[in-house]
Amino acid sequence: MSDFAKEKQAIIDAMVAYKVPGIQKAADDAKAAGMEATEIIDVMGAGMSDVGILFERGKLFLPHVLSAANGMTAVVKSLEADLPVDKMGSTLAKVCMGTVEGDVHDIGKSICSTMLQCGGFDVVDVGRDVPSKEFVAQVVENGCTMLGMSALMTTTMTVQRDVIALLEEAGVRNKVKVMVGGAPVTQAWADKIKADCFSESASEQVDKAKALLE
Amino acid sequence: MAKYCTRMGDGSTVYMTKEEIKQDVLDGTADAADMGGIKDLTADEIEHLIEIICDTNRIVGVARGEEVVLSYDVGQLDMTGDNGNSGGGVPASRLNGALVHERTLCADTFELAHSDYSIKPVKPVIANEMNDMEVIQNNIIIPYFYGAMPNMGLYYSPDGPYGNPADLMRQFKIDEAQEQAEAAAKHLARDILYVATKIDDAGSDGFNFDTTASAGDADFVGTLTGVEQLRKERPDMSIMLGMAGENVMGIHGEIEYDGKVVAGLFPHQQVALAEKAGANVFGPVSNTNTGKSLAWNLSRAVTFVKSCTDVSSLPVHVNMGMGVGGIPMSETPPLDAVTRCSKAMVEIAKVDGV
Repeated sequence: MSDFAKEKQAIIDAMVAYKVPGIQKAADDAKAAGMEATEIIDVMGAGMSDVGILFERGKLFLPHVLSAANGMTAVVKSLEADLPVDKMGSTLAKVCMGTVEGDVHDIGKSICSTMLQCGGFDVVDVGRDVPSKEFVAQVVENGCTMLGMSALMTTTMTVQRDVIALLEEAGVRNKVKVMVGGAPVTQAWADKIKADCFSESASEQVDKAKALLE
Repeated sequence: MAKYCTRMGDGSTVYMTKEEIKQDVLDGTADAADMGGIKDLTADEIEHLIEIICDTNRIVGVARGEEVVLSYDVGQLDMTGDNGNSGGGVPASRLNGALVHERTLCADTFELAHSDYSIKPVKPVIANEMNDMEVIQNNIIIPYFYGAMPNMGLYYSPDGPYGNPADLMRQFKIDEAQEQAEAAAKHLARDILYVATKIDDAGSDGFNFDTTASAGDADFVGTLTGVEQLRKERPDMSIMLGMAGENVMGIHGEIEYDGKVVAGLFPHQQVALAEKAGANVFGPVSNTNTGKSLAWNLSRAVTFVKSCTDVSSLPVHVNMGMGVGGIPMSETPPLDAVTRCSKAMVEIAKVDGV
């Protein structure tokens, strides 16, 4: 029985090459060789992880990540008929993402939102300088089970703690996994404010967010 | 085994053995070499760096005669600003701030800066800035520049007229995102020329483009283009160009300057484009990782900066401060770490200024 090593490598190579037609062709070839649709998607997920690592190392850039994700979306759509119902259009979790109030830094948070989206999460990006109560409102309104907060200044990282307190006040803290990040933020800070997760980088965040679901 | 008091990247105190410090130094230089495609520090440089970190004196310095040019950025704001922008909260006029830096803090150069410290918000108030520049120039002796960040993020929604590429990309509108970034870069270049020529007219000794490429590769291209136009307009103007990070973020991904894709460039590659555009001084940056030790961060930073000084024909004035140049990211960076980072940059990376 074939382990489809050649097809799997071709899919990963195509993901790293980030061209939509190439990704589609690699997936089509794998399907023609007999690979299951779910397995093709799993391999593409691994390819997306490689894309994330290359992005982190400055070898691939944001449009390339998006193009690879776009290719993956196209393949999933083309495989719809072969997928179990629970796999069609499914996302891992709904995540609310934003930069805390008083902090207008946008790019790092946006890159994290993009990487989460590419990693299979449904992202509600609420922007930057988000009032603390708005985070809670957006989480509740959108039914988010995860919240990611960015803070790029030592003077605004404390707001992450305030938002966690507001989640507790609203009685929803135990329904939401809280992720924190940003240049001054550390694991020690995340532990202190009782966040569920701290990530140093966008791609690490995707891995840690997936781990939180387990 | 003896342990040395040192720092983590967030400024907290940590005690490490010499072996642990050595391992972090090796890992830091290896990370920079791997990311930037540059050489690791040599065995001698690594030994020297370990000596600097393990020095039991609280403060260290360079040998007499090895001092380098010391410049300060953000003008009077480091005195008048509150903790929100790393200031001391000391009431002082712009003139007071400038003279204190010259006459008591021993600055070799200093600059005038608006509280928004960005090209876009300065444009509508440039007449006021020109007035203050002229007044202070009449009182100060050291070279006195004007400083501002290109900060192209202010040209994107919701702050500016162009669509936000990050938002557009999440909708898979990649071409549109790139078009918006290119349009914003042209706008930035235009504003740079406007602001810099005006302040030059008021007698500024030069312009410091600080934290270039903070909004990614199109920000870098916009700034380089603005500098190129400025150099044509003002052949004798002194232009400093400092970066935001060790790596140019690829938000556009394909935008070019002088036929070269700028996304992903590291300091040794960035400096060539800065020189081509017409800068006189280049300021490389290496960002601090708060979860790693001073040894790891400083080793990595020195490796990046040395790769730049090795190839640069421009004077290299490294960015040193909270969260850059190996210095911890904390509200008031610890002096033991700041002086070790400065000494290493001078003695190992061979910078011309700090």
